[in-house]
Order: sequence, then structure tokens, then C-alpha cells
Amino acid sequence: MAELDELIHQPLRLKIMAALHAERDADPLEFSRLKAVTQATDGNLGSHLTTLEKAGYVEIAKDFVGKKPRTRVALTPTGRKAFRRHVDYLRAVVEGVDGD
Amino acid sequence: MGISKSEAASALTDIESTAGRSRLLKGYHVAGPILMVWGVIWALGYSGMGLLPSEQWGLIWLVLDVAGVVATILLSRGGKGAAKAGQGWKIVAGVLAILAFYAATLTLFQPISIDATIAYPGVVTGLVYAGIGIAFAPRYLWIGGAVFAASLVGYFFFQPWLTFWMAAVGGGGLFVAGLWLRRA
Repeated sequence: MAELDELIHQPLRLKIMAALHAERDADPLEFSRLKAVTQATDGNLGSHLTTLEKAGYVEIAKDFVGKKPRTRVALTPTGRKAFRRHVDYLRAVVEGVDGD
Repeated sequence: MGISKSEAASALTDIESTAGRSRLLKGYHVAGPILMVWGVIWALGYSGMGLLPSEQWGLIWLVLDVAGVVATILLSRGGKGAAKAGQGWKIVAGVLAILAFYAATLTLFQPISIDATIAYPGVVTGLVYAGIGIAFAPRYLWIGGAVFAASLVGYFFFQPWLTFWMAAVGGGGLFVAGLWLRRA
């Protein structure tokens, strides 16, 4: 049975995971794109990414393009599974299989 | 701890809208360089029309259009995950449909002057982008509206320099629009 993932359920973290899941077959998302998609501030996005990284749900890579620093974020396999489980849980609740 | 049905529905809506926004911005990012290429093609083609005799116009546009379609297919494949394998034919079909529409309407309505023929692609392109903007991606509505309006302004107010107007304003406008999409 799918269950609520309280770590993911926080509104901004839910958006982060949704954006990363939508791009799961593409290259990792750049921080600036993730910021545009989630419409979060730098600080808020950074802190929630750290939380997700500590949980093993995302991996963050930092490098340079020329002299410009670049931060890219991708879902880990654990994060992908956790997100799917969470979405399954939400669907189950909506369909009345569980809770209310 | 559980959540209510309405809370779950709201979370699912958030997920769907975030995924949609992510796909939209990705689409802009991939389309930006393609629009920039077409901006350069317009600038070259219309400049060529302004500088070379009319017998050579067809050849200029044939070469440039083929180069544009090839570049479009290559650039859309470069967007990993954006244009899935097998999508190339849709781009070619779309471009061919627009060209067919353009040729058919020119044949049916027989423009009274060469200037109308020069401005017409801008009007058709503007309409196509506006349609894409209304249906899928709002930024195209602004781009289409600008190309549409610029073509008509050139036709009515800058006819003596219409080809150069279309090269600078149409081609330049598409190039700038491509930069705008690229930064999305």
C-alpha cells in the first residue's frame, strides 16, 4: 500500500520533485530552470534541495561552464521511487481507496 | 498521518501544473536556437531579395529553406528528451503544410504587387506562431503578433525598402525572440 511521504508532501518540495520527475529522461535540471519552474527564491529552493539531497532523493552536481558556476539537480533512483509511491498514495486518497 | 481527499487532489493538481510548466520552459529553451536560425535565414533571404535580381529569388529561398528545415531537425534532436525519435517528420510535415498553404493562397488570390508577395510570408508566419501561442505556449502569441504587425507596417509604411525592412525587423525580430525563448 502506498503511503504519504511527508518529506515530499511539503508544497515546494513537491514542486521540485514534480519538475525533476517530468525531466527524468533528460539532462539534469539547472538550478535557474528549477527556480523558474517552481517560482521559488534562491534561498528557499536551496534549503529544500539540501533537505531532499540529505534524504537521498536528489543529487546535486556543481561545476563550471567557462568561468560561470553551474548547479544541476537530478532525481536519484530512490527519489524517483519515492515520488511515484507518493503520487500513488495521493491517487488512492482521491479515488477513495484510503483516508478522507 | 493521512490527508483529506481535497488536499490530495490539490497536490496532484500542483504536480500536474509544475510538470506542465517544466515541459513548457524546456520547449522554449529548445525552440530558442531554432527561431534564431530562422531569424538569420529571413535576414539573408530578404537581404538577397533586396540585392539580387528577382530571377534568383526562388533559388535563394529554396537553398535557405532547406538549410532551415535541416537545422530545425538537428536542433530539435539536440534537446534530449524534448523531441523524441520520430518527431522529425512532424516538423517537416508542418513546414511543408505552411509552404503549401502559402503557395495555394498566393495562387488563388494573385497579389496585385510584388510587395504584397514579399510581406505575405510574415503575415502567415505571424498567424502560425499566434496559433501556437494561443493553443500551447503563450510566448509565441507575442512573437506571432509582433511578426504579423511588423510585416503589415513594412507593407504600408516602408514599401520602398520592404525587403530590407523584412530582413531587419522580421529576421532581427525572430532572432531576438529566439534569445528570449532560450533564456526561459
